[in-house]
Amino acid sequence: MACVLGISAHYHDAAAALVVDGEVVAAIQEERLSRIKNDPGLPISAALACLGHAGVDTGAVDAIAFYEEPFAKLERVMVHLLRHLPRTWRLFPRALASQLGAKIWVLDHLAESLGVPRERVLSFEHHRSHAASAYLVSTFPDAAVLVVDGVGEAHSTTLWHGRGHDLTLLASVDFPHSLGLLYAGLTAWLGFPVNEGEYKVMGLAAWGKPNLREAFERIIKLHPDGAYTLDLECFAHMSDAELGFGPGLERVLGPRRPPGKPWDLADPADLRYADVAATLQAVLEDALLGLARRARALTGSEHLCLAGGVALNALANARLQRESGFARVFVQPAAGDAGGALGAALLAAQQLGDPRPAAMTTCALGLPLDVARAHAIAVELGLPVRRVDDPVALAARLIASDKIVAHARGRFEWGPRALGQRSLLARPRDRATRERLNRLIKEREPFRPFAPAVLSERTAEFFAGEPDLMSPFMTTVAPVRPEARARLGAVTHEDGTARLQTVEAARAPELHALLTALAAAGEDPVVLNTSLNGAGEPIVASGEDALAFYLRHAVDALILEDLVIEKAP
Amino acid sequence: MTMTNPPPRPPRPGLARRLGARVRTALRLIGHFLHPARFVLAPLLIVLLLAGILLSLTGGLAYVAPFVYTLF
Repeated sequence: MACVLGISAHYHDAAAALVVDGEVVAAIQEERLSRIKNDPGLPISAALACLGHAGVDTGAVDAIAFYEEPFAKLERVMVHLLRHLPRTWRLFPRALASQLGAKIWVLDHLAESLGVPRERVLSFEHHRSHAASAYLVSTFPDAAVLVVDGVGEAHSTTLWHGRGHDLTLLASVDFPHSLGLLYAGLTAWLGFPVNEGEYKVMGLAAWGKPNLREAFERIIKLHPDGAYTLDLECFAHMSDAELGFGPGLERVLGPRRPPGKPWDLADPADLRYADVAATLQAVLEDALLGLARRARALTGSEHLCLAGGVALNALANARLQRESGFARVFVQPAAGDAGGALGAALLAAQQLGDPRPAAMTTCALGLPLDVARAHAIAVELGLPVRRVDDPVALAARLIASDKIVAHARGRFEWGPRALGQRSLLARPRDRATRERLNRLIKEREPFRPFAPAVLSERTAEFFAGEPDLMSPFMTTVAPVRPEARARLGAVTHEDGTARLQTVEAARAPELHALLTALAAAGEDPVVLNTSLNGAGEPIVASGEDALAFYLRHAVDALILEDLVIEKAP
Repeated sequence: MTMTNPPPRPPRPGLARRLGARVRTALRLIGHFLHPARFVLAPLLIVLLLAGILLSLTGGLAYVAPFVYTLF
């Protein structure tokens, strides 16, 4: 029986995950605590918060597991920089200074920062950590596992066979060919920030038509065995840390869209950019389907687990569920690099003799609210805070009267999706609600969709599909039934789908109670559910964060457990 | 449910202990590159390691660019 801390850091979303006696006890992204979006720094605050939540001292930690192999990564970086000389000569000093200045010493830094003997700090391969993060918390005793991201040490795509406790690598595609970097390069070409704008590309895709297949055939070749090859002339991720696409891409698709330019989807030029996004989405889905079918052929399994940043593409996940031939598909909610922390912790726990954990049923793995502290701060700020006996009934009443409610209850979520614990909730009926949220509160592009949360047992009334293993975590989409679209105007995307969350009492009790109260009041048991954060901010974690959000944004009410603050009408 | 306090940050080890840890890591790294397939990288690595130990002990570098993970 062991206490293991998993860590991911230094690239995108740093995170810590705590596994005690084989069970996942806490998992926190550093950004939630540091308040720096996608904070890549060593997640010492998150690690200590996980330990604090579990009541474990650093001295009781049996192992720290890092989610990638620093030496293998350095080797790939060195080989790659040498191979691409002279294009990389200007980057060489900076790249190696970054590696040698911090990254190869990361295991030492972890030991020193957490006061754990260095020999207890282990590392696991990046894609193995990803694969473990999905497979080991799935319900499957046997599954194919597909990991697709930008790049780990050398692999950018891997196929695994999970059986019992074991994961066996079956096939891989290596850097610089990468579906994650294809998507990232096009994200940059479309003028969105990389590592943040990929969701925007996915949202934009619904506004376009996938009519640029011929052009994309010059950018990426899909092979019959599921592998793929990028035309490297179109990309610059081998030699440029800033841009990610090369002159070849502009020769094929035309000039990039200027970053920051406001979107106008009535403008034919912007519609063509939407067509590029739609074609990219279609090509990505085709590539993933090819990989999934190969995985099915290699493993013979009925189940598929997905991990890596690309597994956050809910549209692609839905298509894999429909067309890949697998009976069931599971995506761990923190499928990106944060999830690597969880996978590494589980691998180390197994190495120390712990059993496989129970299947993940909730992603409320963060910290709870300190209500007393939040109350004291609200009083000090002169806010009209009050305690209520039934916050659920009040929230339902406010939402039914078209108010936008900032809702913070329970432990905050693990992964990029707000699933009711730190959410903005609203009535899903009017499209105007979407406009208000996009323009006034979230300050996002007008084409960005919002997601619905629906009472699980009533899903079929509103959506063409049943709850599956992905829908509780909002990692898939489903078509909105035509007869329900008028009632779900704020959450039905341009293509008639919605990235739904099905809500069960056992997984999300607070949100389930709220939807039940709405139903009891004669409303549809559906809410618009979007993350509780402003533009460029991480999702709210603490009561202080929630109060700060409330003060800065035009929401109608804030509910913090049983505390309520309402704006005067 | 109430908030729990995280354990305090452990004190940073002294310079000698940190230097010892870095040297052990550097030796492991050299071991990694002693594989015949990686010989070609060894001279470059040794020069870079010396710079790396200095950078590490003096606080290192922190630069984040969008595609940094592909190159750095």
